[in-house]
Amino acid sequence: MRLIAALLFVLLMPTVVVAQPAGTLVVGLVAEPVALDPAQVTDLNSNRVGRRVAETLVAFAEGSTQIVPGLAESWTISRDGLQYTFKLRKGVKFHDGTPLDAEAVKFSIERQIVPDHPASKLGKYPFANYFFGNVKAVEPLDELTVRFILKEPRASFLDVMAAAAASIVSPTAVKKFGLDYGTNPVGTGPFRFASWERGQRVVLEKNPAYWKFPVKVDRVVYRPIVEDQARLTELLTGGLDLIVGVPPDFVAQLEGNAKLALLKQVGAHVWYLGLNNEKKPFTDKRVRQALNYAVDKDAIVRDVLKGTGAPSKGPVLPGTWGDEARLKAFPYDPERAKKLLAEAGYPGGFSTTLWVPESGSGMQSPVAMSTVIQSNLKAVGVNVALQTMEWGAFLAKLRTKEQEMFALSWMAGAEDPDLVMYPLLHSSQWTPNGPNRAMYRNARFDELLSQARAITDQAKRAEMYREAQRILHDDPPWIFIDHEVQTAAHAKRVQGFRLHPSFDLRVETISLK
Amino acid sequence: MALFLLRRLLLVGPVLLGVSLVVFAVLHISPGDPAEIMLGPQATHEDITRLRTELGLDEPLAVQYARWMGRVLQGDLGRSLWMKRPVLGEVLRRFQATVVLAASALLLSTLGGIALGVLSAARRNSLLDRLSALASLFGASMPSFWLGIVLMVIFALWLGWLPASGMFAPYGGGGVGDLLSHLVLPTVTLAAASLTIIARLTRSTMLDVLGQDFVRTARAKGVRESFVVVRHALRNALIPTVTVVGVQAGYLLGGAVLTETVFAWPGVGTLMVQGILARDFPLVQGCVLVIALGFVLVNLAVDVLYATLDPRIRRE
Repeated sequence: MRLIAALLFVLLMPTVVVAQPAGTLVVGLVAEPVALDPAQVTDLNSNRVGRRVAETLVAFAEGSTQIVPGLAESWTISRDGLQYTFKLRKGVKFHDGTPLDAEAVKFSIERQIVPDHPASKLGKYPFANYFFGNVKAVEPLDELTVRFILKEPRASFLDVMAAAAASIVSPTAVKKFGLDYGTNPVGTGPFRFASWERGQRVVLEKNPAYWKFPVKVDRVVYRPIVEDQARLTELLTGGLDLIVGVPPDFVAQLEGNAKLALLKQVGAHVWYLGLNNEKKPFTDKRVRQALNYAVDKDAIVRDVLKGTGAPSKGPVLPGTWGDEARLKAFPYDPERAKKLLAEAGYPGGFSTTLWVPESGSGMQSPVAMSTVIQSNLKAVGVNVALQTMEWGAFLAKLRTKEQEMFALSWMAGAEDPDLVMYPLLHSSQWTPNGPNRAMYRNARFDELLSQARAITDQAKRAEMYREAQRILHDDPPWIFIDHEVQTAAHAKRVQGFRLHPSFDLRVETISLK
Repeated sequence: MALFLLRRLLLVGPVLLGVSLVVFAVLHISPGDPAEIMLGPQATHEDITRLRTELGLDEPLAVQYARWMGRVLQGDLGRSLWMKRPVLGEVLRRFQATVVLAASALLLSTLGGIALGVLSAARRNSLLDRLSALASLFGASMPSFWLGIVLMVIFALWLGWLPASGMFAPYGGGGVGDLLSHLVLPTVTLAAASLTIIARLTRSTMLDVLGQDFVRTARAKGVRESFVVVRHALRNALIPTVTVVGVQAGYLLGGAVLTETVFAWPGVGTLMVQGILARDFPLVQGCVLVIALGFVLVNLAVDVLYATLDPRIRRE
């Protein structure tokens, strides 16, 4: 008995929860970063940390994805849209003392795309083709001037240069660390890498010589905590200062909490239910329209996502320059859906299969959302068999082109419509050569998208994209569902934090009370 | 004894070889592809094919297995596809955290289980015995992740006595006290099921032993009841318990995956889950091999202990 009493005493002994030292910000991540070299990763959590260390030539403005100067203080674009010349900021140094110059820019991009580059074999670069396949050459003109020569004009190139994969890294550090550079990143950013204990924490320390503004936080500790309840408990008990990606079921609980602030922000993301446009009955646009009328997006956003989504009317983010504001989302109208199905020759509906990944980057709550869609479609006579799969298996299966319906999302991270419409819907991008997994093809739409990416006049481009969106409304490739509303919650001692539509986590603006 | 040990040691090799074959086959046969996951949804078929070739994934499975095994025999578990680090160092580092958790859970479940079992047997049908039966039912049937979350909500969120997750404070911690306070909740969570199994087993063997003639003789001689229970009965009842403790030790090593995930414990379990999601073949294979080796060694130790306790076993 005494033994049990002693054990209980030891177990239940109250301990003081250690308060964070002043100047240390502790951030809870949903998953551990993979690596901190932004050119070598595809996941959000890696970039949320890695982008604090390394920066890009151009950047997204605060609160929007409009392009502003970054490591390049200015740039010019040749009339034919083939040459982009960047003037670098003077006196900027990498954290290891290496000066930022045109050679470093050339190195950072060429290591990804030139097969016999000395650093080419030091990593796997997932965006080499997708972002930089169009780059013919990177030419340093002088120490602080660098020119990118493109194979063909691409209006979204500046957005590409703001993407994480276009981060400028210290060539000295890449050569020094080799294969291990991903866990020893060196850039010019507001924080420099300090340490990484796998499974426990990544620590960044402030860069006292940061070129942009004085950083007010001494260090940031990132902790991967996969379990939602654990992350939330840590936030509520002071073990974490900031969490991003509040699970929908916890949003209401946090909204009423006086000790915390809850933030929401629509991100450059789209969640859609792809339809195989090459397979019957989806070859008929009336069927695709009908399915859009049949799904109650508002209910999904309200009941499944608890407000962490905004109903979508198409792939382009509402409120951005390329958006066709006059278009309205398909209303929930099952009667109209039935009528359209009857007109298309399916008065009794039809049966089909929906592939759903269990989880995946940007997939929100795929199974719950798909289940609501399934019951919505059943109400208009369309019997959907749900087939859930693991993420990797799901992606591989989509290459077979055997899909009928599939749930997928796309995180462009930038607002240029070219970065979402072209890859997902241009007919040159049909899977397996590109991400157009709905096998969508519309001649006029293709033409507009090809033209709009070749000119740089934004007003003209916007006009073309607006027409393209009207086409998508009439001839919908998918069932449009939602744009993710990102959420974050932080303790009241955290000041000056804002969510960013690119899904970046800009903790450098934070000061601690 | 030396011969017995040698025979047992010789078996370790084939067991690990079998484990390596099974884990390799299961991973490679299951759908999903590391190249696909590494490159993400924007990758083209061409990108993926190239990466598959670079990683050697397009070769026949037998060739891939032979190449991997060849390196493993030289002590090289390869490099993780996902985090690009050498597997052996990562796995061993994370295995330490798992051993700390599993050992403390084993300590708690063994001491707690034996104490509870002895007390229940000595006071059969008492309130304590009934409570212990009820607690065992709960302990054995509650899923560990659920128990973990409930404990976390009570002791971290409501009472604020213990930290909710991790192994050390996020910054500036690192002492023994810090470790112990972080260890409590995961230890109780992980130990619950084993503790109840050990308690029930000890109770039933104790009851068996307490009914035997030599105990009656001891009591008739006027030996104190506590002496009878501890010195005469418990000693004899311990042999089956040792076996079960050994099995539980292996289970705790491998079964810490869920508990580690709930409490963000930086052990080999969380590493393996990440590895499986990324289809990181070398990493998962490395984790399983290390866990299997741990399991085999613990079982070996139990066999040796068992043989020491009961000389008949050595002769079989």
